[in-house]
Amino acid sequence: MKLSYYPGCSLEATAKEFDSSVRAVSKALDIELVEIPDWTCCGATSAHATNHRLSVGLPALTIKQIQKMGLDCVVPCSACFNRLKTTEYHMIHNADIRQEMEKTLAFQFDQQPRVYDMLAYLVEKYGLKAISQKVQKPLKNLKVACYYGCLSVRPAEITGIDSTENPMQLDNLMKALGATPVSWSYKVDCCGAGHSVAKSAMVTNLSGKILAKAREAGADAVVNSCPLCQTNLEMRRPQGEDIPVFFFTELMGLALGSPEARDWWNKHLVDPSKIVNSIQAE
Amino acid sequence: MSNVQTDKKLTGAAMVVGGGISGMQSALDLAESGIKVYLLDEKPAIGGTMARLDKTFPTNDCAMCIMSPKLVDTGRHNNIEIITGAKVKEVTGEPGNFKVKVHQRARYIDIDKCTGCGDCAGVCPVELPNEFNGEIDTRKATYKLYAQATPNAFAIDKRGVAPCKATCPAGINVQGYVQLIKSGKFIDAWKMIYEEMPFPAICGRICAHPCQTACNRAKVDEPIQIATLKRLAADMAYQMDMNELPLPEKEAVRDEKVAVIGSGPAGLACAHFLALKGYSVTIFEALPVTGGMMRIGIPEYRLPKKWVDYEIELIKHLGVEIKVNTALGKDITIDGLFKEGFKSIFLGVGCQKGTSMRTPGENLEGVISAVDMLRNIGLGEKVEVGKKVLVVGGGNVAMDAARSARRAGAEVHVLYRRTRGEMPAAPEEVEEAMEEGVKFHFRTLIKEIKDNKGKIGVVETIEVVRMEKDEKGKWVPVYGDKVTAWQDVDTVISAIGQTADLSFAGDKPLTNQWGDRIVADPDTLATNVPGIFTGGDVFTGPALLIDAVGAGKQAAESIHRYLQGEDLKAGRQFKVPEEKISPIPRKAASYPQQPKVKQAHAPAERRAANTEEVCLGFTPEQAQEEAARCLNCAICSECMQCVDACLPKAIDHDMQDREFEIEVGAMVMNPGFKPYDPEDLQLYGYGRLPNVVTSIQFERILSASGPYAGHMVRPSDHKEPTRIAWIQCVGSRNERIGKGYCSSVCCMYAIKQAVIAKEHSHEPLSAKLFYMDMRTPGKDFERYLNRAKEEQGVEFIRSRIYGIDPALDGSDDVMIRYADEDGKVFTENYDMVVLSIGLSAPEGAKDLGQACGIELDKYGFCRTDTFAPGCSSREGIYVSGAFSEPKDIPETAVDASAAAAMVSRLLAPARGTMTEVQKFPPEKDVNNQLPRVGVFVCNCGINIGSIVRVPEVAAFASSLPGVVHTEEFLFSCSQDNIIKIKNRIQEHNLNRVVVASCTPRTHAPLFQSSLKEAGLNPYLYEHANIREQSSWVHREQPEDATDKAKDLVGMAVAKVRLLKPVQTSFIDVNQRVLVVGGGVAGMTNALSLAEQGYAVTLVEKTDQLGGRATELRYSLRGEDIPAFVEKLKSDIEAHPLVEIALRAQVQEVTGYLGNYRTTLHKEDGFKVEVEHGAVVIATGADETSPTEYLYGSHAAVLTQTQLEQKIVDQGLGNAKNIVMINCVGSRIPERPYCSRVCCTHAIKNALKVKELNPAANVIVLYRDIRTYGFKEEYYTEARRKGVIFIRYSLDDKPVVEANGDRVTVTITDHVLKQPIKIDADILALSNGIQPRLDTEALSQLFKVPLNADGFYLEAHMKLRPVDFAADGLYLCGLAHGPKNITETIAQANASSVRAVTLLSKGRLESLGNTAEVDLELCKGCGICVSACAYGARVFDERRGVAYVREVLCQGCGACVAACPSGATQQKGFEKEQLLAMMDAALG
Repeated sequence: MKLSYYPGCSLEATAKEFDSSVRAVSKALDIELVEIPDWTCCGATSAHATNHRLSVGLPALTIKQIQKMGLDCVVPCSACFNRLKTTEYHMIHNADIRQEMEKTLAFQFDQQPRVYDMLAYLVEKYGLKAISQKVQKPLKNLKVACYYGCLSVRPAEITGIDSTENPMQLDNLMKALGATPVSWSYKVDCCGAGHSVAKSAMVTNLSGKILAKAREAGADAVVNSCPLCQTNLEMRRPQGEDIPVFFFTELMGLALGSPEARDWWNKHLVDPSKIVNSIQAE
Repeated sequence: MSNVQTDKKLTGAAMVVGGGISGMQSALDLAESGIKVYLLDEKPAIGGTMARLDKTFPTNDCAMCIMSPKLVDTGRHNNIEIITGAKVKEVTGEPGNFKVKVHQRARYIDIDKCTGCGDCAGVCPVELPNEFNGEIDTRKATYKLYAQATPNAFAIDKRGVAPCKATCPAGINVQGYVQLIKSGKFIDAWKMIYEEMPFPAICGRICAHPCQTACNRAKVDEPIQIATLKRLAADMAYQMDMNELPLPEKEAVRDEKVAVIGSGPAGLACAHFLALKGYSVTIFEALPVTGGMMRIGIPEYRLPKKWVDYEIELIKHLGVEIKVNTALGKDITIDGLFKEGFKSIFLGVGCQKGTSMRTPGENLEGVISAVDMLRNIGLGEKVEVGKKVLVVGGGNVAMDAARSARRAGAEVHVLYRRTRGEMPAAPEEVEEAMEEGVKFHFRTLIKEIKDNKGKIGVVETIEVVRMEKDEKGKWVPVYGDKVTAWQDVDTVISAIGQTADLSFAGDKPLTNQWGDRIVADPDTLATNVPGIFTGGDVFTGPALLIDAVGAGKQAAESIHRYLQGEDLKAGRQFKVPEEKISPIPRKAASYPQQPKVKQAHAPAERRAANTEEVCLGFTPEQAQEEAARCLNCAICSECMQCVDACLPKAIDHDMQDREFEIEVGAMVMNPGFKPYDPEDLQLYGYGRLPNVVTSIQFERILSASGPYAGHMVRPSDHKEPTRIAWIQCVGSRNERIGKGYCSSVCCMYAIKQAVIAKEHSHEPLSAKLFYMDMRTPGKDFERYLNRAKEEQGVEFIRSRIYGIDPALDGSDDVMIRYADEDGKVFTENYDMVVLSIGLSAPEGAKDLGQACGIELDKYGFCRTDTFAPGCSSREGIYVSGAFSEPKDIPETAVDASAAAAMVSRLLAPARGTMTEVQKFPPEKDVNNQLPRVGVFVCNCGINIGSIVRVPEVAAFASSLPGVVHTEEFLFSCSQDNIIKIKNRIQEHNLNRVVVASCTPRTHAPLFQSSLKEAGLNPYLYEHANIREQSSWVHREQPEDATDKAKDLVGMAVAKVRLLKPVQTSFIDVNQRVLVVGGGVAGMTNALSLAEQGYAVTLVEKTDQLGGRATELRYSLRGEDIPAFVEKLKSDIEAHPLVEIALRAQVQEVTGYLGNYRTTLHKEDGFKVEVEHGAVVIATGADETSPTEYLYGSHAAVLTQTQLEQKIVDQGLGNAKNIVMINCVGSRIPERPYCSRVCCTHAIKNALKVKELNPAANVIVLYRDIRTYGFKEEYYTEARRKGVIFIRYSLDDKPVVEANGDRVTVTITDHVLKQPIKIDADILALSNGIQPRLDTEALSQLFKVPLNADGFYLEAHMKLRPVDFAADGLYLCGLAHGPKNITETIAQANASSVRAVTLLSKGRLESLGNTAEVDLELCKGCGICVSACAYGARVFDERRGVAYVREVLCQGCGACVAACPSGATQQKGFEKEQLLAMMDAALG
């Protein structure tokens, strides 16, 4: 299986372990990832907030590249995914936007949807059964709180998620890996990423609540799919809060026996080694 | 009788689809107005959703109490035929003459024979979630929907063929015997198995169980251990003496002889079934032992041979002769057998030869085949295998060989070419072999066996990389490089397949081209040679034992047919079709995980050295536990226990579904609704948290007939909750899940549940409702809401819940997160959460719509027109109830009558053509005769008879004075015994009858009508309830129960002796109706009556018809109201049966039901007298006139009606800002009701403004938006179009100030908490509705009551919404309460048919047990007149006495109790009769 791959800027910097684990997991699942040559910034922060045309134009440029490759594209970062998918959606459903982009970027859009959230792709296209067959080290006795945030979830007509209030993709994936997802109602609560810089105290409050509730629900760790959430949940947390946060691909890597895993943990701001060791010890 | 003539021939019958409260009301209205009714329901009983409710709002009546009289009336009506379990498949024809194709599911219980005793359910082992009780408890596969179900009969639930049964080659009813084992009926289970298959003990041990592989439980956790259960059944049975076993009956002996070749499983099974058919069968066996592979193929440690001996012995018992050491082709020949007189031959010779490995060196000494080795062991010969053994193969035979070699003391290695997961051997076999120390080498084959002087030398094995298909499609290995050399191998056992030796066939065309299989028809198993049949391995190649047994059985049937000259195939089912195999009954995830029960095994280290049995089977307790895991995929397990339990022999498992056609003139659709399933809204935790329940489940929890018998406890731990939260709008007002409408009823039912829960609770209960808008627009609903808030302390929180979690303390409590209006977040714990689920379109609505050719909306409801409520898109097919829009019970009851009116209009000319009136023989005169009493005592199956000694009661009865005949019945109510009662009346010249049985509520009328049929006055009857009042309640005290039954019978006899015949009286009914009020309600009603064939006088006090509707211009959906009113006016003016009196008012009313005389006073001074039989009050209501917000003093302030007129008549002009204030003059202390229509009126106008000028600002100030039902869509649309909604509260009302030709409105915004000033060009006030000023005067003239708000009060707020308490008086329209034009039209139609039910009879019959007055004793005090609620007691001023108007008397007895002089007595309850009862009771 061959897919095009859009890492985005976070995965080259703050979320390096996300990139590395995505690649390791893909290898274990016999997926060949082809990084999109010359990919462009998705525009999730400044363009999105300041210039509508640019906020569509930047992802459109990447969509042009994807079309050229003719492969489905997986996007691990929720923010990148949201921008790319939103643009793709508008270019399929809105002729004005499509024509404008085609003119500006000098290409003919074939209106094929190709952009996928990495998590959704693995769960729905690759299939949980196929994944579970490749599990070498089931994550037995690991209780995880699956946290989805907002960008890969809403709006539903664009993201195509199973449910905006109680999404289950990550939960089902964790089950397939042998872990036990806990039942909690904070999986789509706001982590506060939008105000992470400007109002960090407020964000600490929001993130702190999510982490505390995960702990109360009996989780050993939080698992998520968004580099922004990851940063917030690790960095903007009340003092003394020590529940670790994982990218879902990291836990997949552990379960699939990826040897690269040992390089990931020192990238975390909250030391996950206790849990990692207990998984590996079994 | 018909008042309308037509040339067209119409069918005087109607079909009502759906037997809920709406269907029953339609059916009763139609049947009572002379139209024959077929009432269809998909369920086994009628009653619909209302039967599931506990109490009803706003009166807190018990739902069942007010509904069950309707159930009884419907069930007993002469002209209503109830068809249960039925669906409409197709409707053809045209209005007046439809042909309806109906599919009726088999009930498996004869409704005429079933007495409803429930003995069948008592023995039924199958338990499944009880849908009726919201699946909180369980019911049996044979069940009655609910205690009061009509028809009062059980039904059996079946769903296809369970996969276990469908896949069993022998066709054993697996689910059946598993259920029998569950109930501990092991011998019955064995019998059920043995009927289909003669080797329960053998198959219980070694069957490869296709049933278990197909078991749906595997989708949940692990399959049911069916084979092991079978083993237990057999082991239990064989502990009995062989002669006492319940063996199947042999048919009469037949002459034909049959030869069976081979005593393996196929041959033995064939012989067994032929012997049962009566044939004489001889088995010829080549070996010295019987049993074939059962004996010589399967090692002792898996199948102790004593069981083979035993089960073959049982077959011999049937007379089967077995000749051993007789080989076909050697000792006997086929031709020889035919010559000897055998008429048919079964070839079951099996596959006895091992297949070659085709490996170099396979002919060396020490290389043996597994079958040979196992055969030798089986024959008791000593087998030497040496110290080191290689076994090649991965099947069960390989396992047998390997484990046998292990038991011979060798080191054993199994070589298999594929992986472990691909091994054909049963996984448990592999596991047991591994436990015993057998080593496995996968992906490995032998390359060569080197020759060491004729013996085995070095064995070289080679790695298999993968298996590939060659061009012929045969699997061949692809070898790798890895070669292993094995030293010191003593024996190589080849176990890669077997083949047959068919040399006996000679030149007969029996075999295939390679000569290794016999060919035959795969179904009938007939070979190419007539008379020769085959089956088992020799036909299929090596297969399962159970396959061979199945084949033998199949062949036996074919041989029987062949010998009898019958067609071999006709009517036989060889394989269960895929679509008939039942799926898993519910979602796999919904079952709790429960791993299989593991049978014990002999310890591996010990058993590897001997031949003791490895598997030890279940204990009976283990078996029952394991059997209880069965999911009952086919629901009914056909265990047949009910057949034995049913004394009236009502059960028939062979019933078939049937299709038939019914001719009707019209149809009414009321399939009701489906409660929304909240499982899709996972965030609410339903299905995840045990104490989150739906509102329907909560109704059942509260209900006395519910799962907890009315004790309010929560499901998880049966603790009484002290904190309950209700969450509103679950599955309503939610566009995202495709439910963009309001379900109308949830607000009210949630308040009701909260109030009732508080009443139920022993501890103080905290009840909180989380809601978006509180919608209580119905009559008296707002008062109910206020009482709940202020008196009962129910808390209301405006909030949409967004998080539900389990409580943190690990208890079963539920934690709710919500934000209040200030945005503050709260986390609260509750014992229980109730989801107020909405109403979805009924299940199967799509099919029904298609079958009937009627259009449905996107939600699956059948929407109707604004001006034609109840009319579907196909003429002649009408709809009512929640199927047309979510609505409450009163509106449903209105709809039901309205739909009946539409039918009655259409079919008026055919009225009375298909209904029947029962005829009775003339009554015997019993005056001056001595009492001759017959007493019939019922056993009610075992319901009475097992507790009360019925013979003793009967003997006691015969000793009582006046009793000339007593008799006991098993079921008095069964058809044959009803006839017996009639015969006894004749034979013994009885003139009084007592039946002692169950409740008189349902059964007394039945026995009374048999008296009538026997020519006896039906009131010469008395009933003793010795079931509910004795055997059921005194189950623990049988002695006392018998005494009490005697007392009850004694009392009944004492009374019956004094009973007198009661004659009912009749009065003629004037056929004209007086309709008061000429608005839309009055006109619609009058037109409907006229079209149904009845004359009408329509009185209107103004100079024109039209009423309030003339002020309106357009409807919510944009229809033209003036045009509609004009049309209605011209229709009514043109109708010959309608007389219109304008400028006239009712001045005086005399007379009574059926014979009124009313004086009308006309404006011009003339008086007109009208004689009529019934009255409809449709006098309407007024708009309130606002007294605030500058209304009347500022030109910019209008009412909504004025705005509507302005928009249409003058246009909006330059108005840019339009502000609306809702609830003006409504929901205030002075007028504490909701005017129902104002919210919609405001939104209607707001949308119109936006349509005309999208740039206009429309701001609606509201308290709650009450756009119930589909009106919600317009609320959504208004918000989409930019209409702004700002909420205000009663204590912070908007302030309006003049500002030039505009007004300034100041309001505190509920989100910003800031005052906002709006300069409005137009301020429209949504003013309410109030009763007319003259209402009170009119109510006194007609002696009808008003409610506290001054609207007319109907007979019953729930079920009689258009009747007054006194018969003959009806109401409709705004006079009844605020409502919109559609609801008014429906009510007007409804009241018309209610009047017709009275008029169409021509004359009225009084009840029997009316009051009567001894005029001598009457003092004329008049107390009785005020005591009577029905106006039946009338004071005769002239004579100074109060008499009874019999047709009005309802027999309540209130006046009897009130009468101080004892002048009033009630027939059938006279003083001396009651005293006689008491004397009898007190001895």
